[in-house]
Amino acid sequence: MTETAADNKPKLKSDQMFINLGPQHPSTHGVLRIGLTIEGEIIVNAVPDVGYLHRGTEKLAEIRGYHHCVVLSDRWDYLNAMGNNMVFCMAAEKLMGVEVPERAQQLRVLMLELNRIASHLLFFGTYGIDIGAFTAFLHAFREREMVLDLFEMVCGARMTYNYIRLGGVMKELPKEWLDRCREFVPFFKKRLAEYDDLLSFNPIFLDRTKTVGAVGGKEALAWGWSGPNLRASGVPYDMRKFQPYSSYEKFDFEIPVGKDGSCWDRYYCRVREMHESLKIVEQVLGGLPEGPILGKGVAKVPKAPPGETYAAIEGARGDLGIHLVSDGNMSPYRLHVKAPSFINLQILQEMLVGQKISDVVAILGSIDIVLGEVDR
Amino acid sequence: MGNYFSTIFGAFTAILKGMSVTFKTMLKPATTVQYPTEKLVPYEGYRGALLFDADTCISCNLCVKACPSFCIQLENATNEAGKKIAKVKWYTIDFGKCNFCRLCEESCPTKPKSVWHSLDYEITFFKRDEMVRCWQKGFEFIGKYFDREAKEFKKPEGQVQIQTTQQRCQY
Repeated sequence: MTETAADNKPKLKSDQMFINLGPQHPSTHGVLRIGLTIEGEIIVNAVPDVGYLHRGTEKLAEIRGYHHCVVLSDRWDYLNAMGNNMVFCMAAEKLMGVEVPERAQQLRVLMLELNRIASHLLFFGTYGIDIGAFTAFLHAFREREMVLDLFEMVCGARMTYNYIRLGGVMKELPKEWLDRCREFVPFFKKRLAEYDDLLSFNPIFLDRTKTVGAVGGKEALAWGWSGPNLRASGVPYDMRKFQPYSSYEKFDFEIPVGKDGSCWDRYYCRVREMHESLKIVEQVLGGLPEGPILGKGVAKVPKAPPGETYAAIEGARGDLGIHLVSDGNMSPYRLHVKAPSFINLQILQEMLVGQKISDVVAILGSIDIVLGEVDR
Repeated sequence: MGNYFSTIFGAFTAILKGMSVTFKTMLKPATTVQYPTEKLVPYEGYRGALLFDADTCISCNLCVKACPSFCIQLENATNEAGKKIAKVKWYTIDFGKCNFCRLCEESCPTKPKSVWHSLDYEITFFKRDEMVRCWQKGFEFIGKYFDREAKEFKKPEGQVQIQTTQQRCQY
């Protein structure tokens, strides 16, 4: 076994103890290891150790064509696979100069927002479990199932969609899809109101999360946080508003902002984001334009002209970016993913120090990391 | 003291509130199915296990090139003179590598498709060798696998569902 940063523990004092959290621990949401040094029940040192799920997809992309890379991108953040497809396609389209038709753009927005709802629902459920409320999980998964059903109807898969393709989307919507989606929106609105009764304002849940893991706006920005985590710290930064892509500028929605950046703020920011996503879904369903779904000029084996580009979107976990370098061949010369989970995770080493060991899981769960994206 | 009782009262009402949501759900019919006895049928266009038809295949190699995980291999058939003809001699799919992405089906030029996703989601294997499915003319339709120890083609034992749900999409 090779020695990692987490193994490099400082000389322990007599009343200190070193314990491992993970890699196989149900509350780490994957395979994350944290080396914790504790003094009584107060944490004095915490070192996150990543890399247990490294599959080398960035390197794999270097010998694969651009259409193949979309399939690889599904596997980064498997809870928000549409966003991964989207960001890779945006980068490649930028490089190739492909125009995406209006209908395809709005279909992309529709799928991204539905995927954001599915991702936040999983967070809602698993965070409830982390804190000790099991009922919320079952309720969340019932609704998530409906979203996954919609995805299954349109692209045939439930997690690795491969739906957003270079120049557009994979397939036209099936006949009864729009009706199913229109049924889902009011149903889910009712359920969201129930979630507040079930978990959000439960005093036991509030006690466990409201005073724990506060991160100020300045600190969050210094650590490079993005997404709902940053917004919960009071910084109203959202890529969809400030750098609109794929016709997001046409839709009207708000940016939910938290107050003090505690665990509860991060949790509730995501719940409110589901409301906003639902608003966008409603607007897209209201005025979906007709037209082609695939842009012209994408070859079966596409070649990008030499150059490099950067594209970023607001993923479910933050700013998801792709740095794509091409040397004119069939496959990318270099592909780099700016993964929000990886960057959000770094703050743990500072955030956990001084907290009680029983709060580790509450803090870790509230950051909402996906290890597939951390290690790629 | 008053604070103490108000905390108890607050927690009690919150539990009642949460329980009322649970109770309302209890009166509704169950959303789950009893899996091994009841089975859900996937929607049309589901990306299940791949199937192949050696009769329609023209061995154009497009699916081999379209596959992102390089899991398809094939060899052209030859006529008596030793020239390659547009028929497939043998065709293998490695389900251990397959991504279930439908790029092969989309690239297939024949009508109906020679390689396509069935609606089968229950694919299991007992051995690694079983994951590599072979199709060849003269064999039965269902893919056999090459056992590396016995050095012969065998019928799969682990997975039996693959031929029960067939569907060929036309798009």
